[in-house]
Amino acid sequence: MTPAWVPRIALPFVWVALVVLIVVSLGVGDLWLSPARIWAGLMHQDELAATVLWQVRLPRLCVAMLVGAALSASGLVMQAYFRNSLASPGLLGVSSGGAAGAVIAIGAGWATTSLFILPVAAICGAFAATMAVVVLAHRGASTERLLLAGVALNALLGAVTSYVLSNFTLTYERNAQVLFWLLGGIEDRTWEHVAMITPVLAAAALLWPLGRPMDLLSLGAQEAQSLGVNVRALRRRMLLLATVMTALATAVAGTVGFVGLIVPHMLRLIVGPEHRRLVPLALVGGAAFVLACDLIGRAAGGLRLGIVTALVGGPFFLWLLRRQT
Amino acid sequence: MKPALELLNVSVESRISEVTVQIGAGAMVGLIGPNGSGKSTLLQVAAGLLPATGSVRWAGNPLDGLTILERGRRAAWVPQEAHFEFGFTVRSVVAQARFAHGDDERGVDEALAQFDLTALAQRPVNRLSGGERQRVLLARACATEAPLQLWDEPLAALDPRHALELLVRARRLREAGKTVLLSLHDLRIAHCLDLVVVMDRGKLRACGRPEDVMTPELLRDVFGVKASTLPGLTLELP
Repeated sequence: MTPAWVPRIALPFVWVALVVLIVVSLGVGDLWLSPARIWAGLMHQDELAATVLWQVRLPRLCVAMLVGAALSASGLVMQAYFRNSLASPGLLGVSSGGAAGAVIAIGAGWATTSLFILPVAAICGAFAATMAVVVLAHRGASTERLLLAGVALNALLGAVTSYVLSNFTLTYERNAQVLFWLLGGIEDRTWEHVAMITPVLAAAALLWPLGRPMDLLSLGAQEAQSLGVNVRALRRRMLLLATVMTALATAVAGTVGFVGLIVPHMLRLIVGPEHRRLVPLALVGGAAFVLACDLIGRAAGGLRLGIVTALVGGPFFLWLLRRQT
Repeated sequence: MKPALELLNVSVESRISEVTVQIGAGAMVGLIGPNGSGKSTLLQVAAGLLPATGSVRWAGNPLDGLTILERGRRAAWVPQEAHFEFGFTVRSVVAQARFAHGDDERGVDEALAQFDLTALAQRPVNRLSGGERQRVLLARACATEAPLQLWDEPLAALDPRHALELLVRARRLREAGKTVLLSLHDLRIAHCLDLVVVMDRGKLRACGRPEDVMTPELLRDVFGVKASTLPGLTLELP
């Protein structure tokens, strides 16, 4: 059993890890920057460092952290909602729904008209997928049912995405770009992308007070209601927040898999299942995890984020599945 | 004084029909009937957890007029069985009883002690036996301090000692003016109840004092068993 002091220091520990990762992430690259030079660059006292930081590394850093926080928190919420620790936005097809929505918007040419069309389209796609999962796999559904619903939805939405890509008159370059985006990555992200995903912070703030009622819900809906939780309202908010966060992450970074599965799971193993603790930890831990994966990818010569998270997450998922059975 | 629980013409499609029952405050009431007779459904309706036609009142208040939080303070419901996906500790599950009271933790440790759970307090609930899980749910219900206690087959998974202790606990709740409605299959303990509600195929078959209601004729009719009152094995707490 985990010693009692572990949960208490978990959040400060993850914060420290995040800060270290931020410094490393800003300092490492073609141009190495010491912490002193990072500071000088941020303050515009060193013009070269300032250019590298403000135009390349900072937007990428912000996108990485927000994508990580969003996906990890949505995974946590979906696990409590479905009362199944294998539920996550990627496995259930919610990410694919967001991707399909975004690709339709690109294929139809809407995405060029306004910066915010893409996230809105991703949110619509993700919502459609979420609703389908809710219908296909009712709450408390068995792991098999939940995963099969996810497999079916992922295949269906993948087909929609492929159809749009192959049948709309996109240029070859545009198609390649979209495919590249779909693989999941955060290269060349700008402040526009940061703006696109910033609403995740608002969603996180709304999620914060739901920790306690989520504890009760994750032990059963009727039990929760009998103890005074407004289950219907809580579920609506949970689905809304999880879907919006997944969709925004997908709109800026493509489909980045396994974050929503691994991070909440690891945290639950370390600090236990109480959501009052898990919600802040999932947000900060998710940001740190994606930042670490991005660093690994950069160190490995530009491996894309989606590939790194899949390489880490795939084996982890199989281990979990084995452990569950 | 207003009845603690009133069900007026309550129906749930294809499960129970037109059930009307009134239960006074400070009573220990047994809900009996064969499998599938609608006992669990009736308890869920009484707890306000299942939509039904007709009306449900707690201490004279129509359920629709109470907020969900207020309901959490006034009634506690124990399900027949619970599935725990996550490893919450026994103590944290029992402490959930206080959610509707602003998580004040009042009475949590006492409830743990009363249900023989103090030694298991830090154990994850998903690693408990069926009987231990049942005790956790009952301890949580008692820790709510709700005046109306609705327990679905609370004795099913308990060993004889814990079953007897539960009956003693229920009797103390009754003495404190609370109302306990519990479904059960063991008709031999009917003698310690104030009132028995008999369900059969979704309908209310009888309601009254055990000695009046549980006649050999009714038991044969409802359960298809031959009842006799020969002295058998009796168990009491030392």
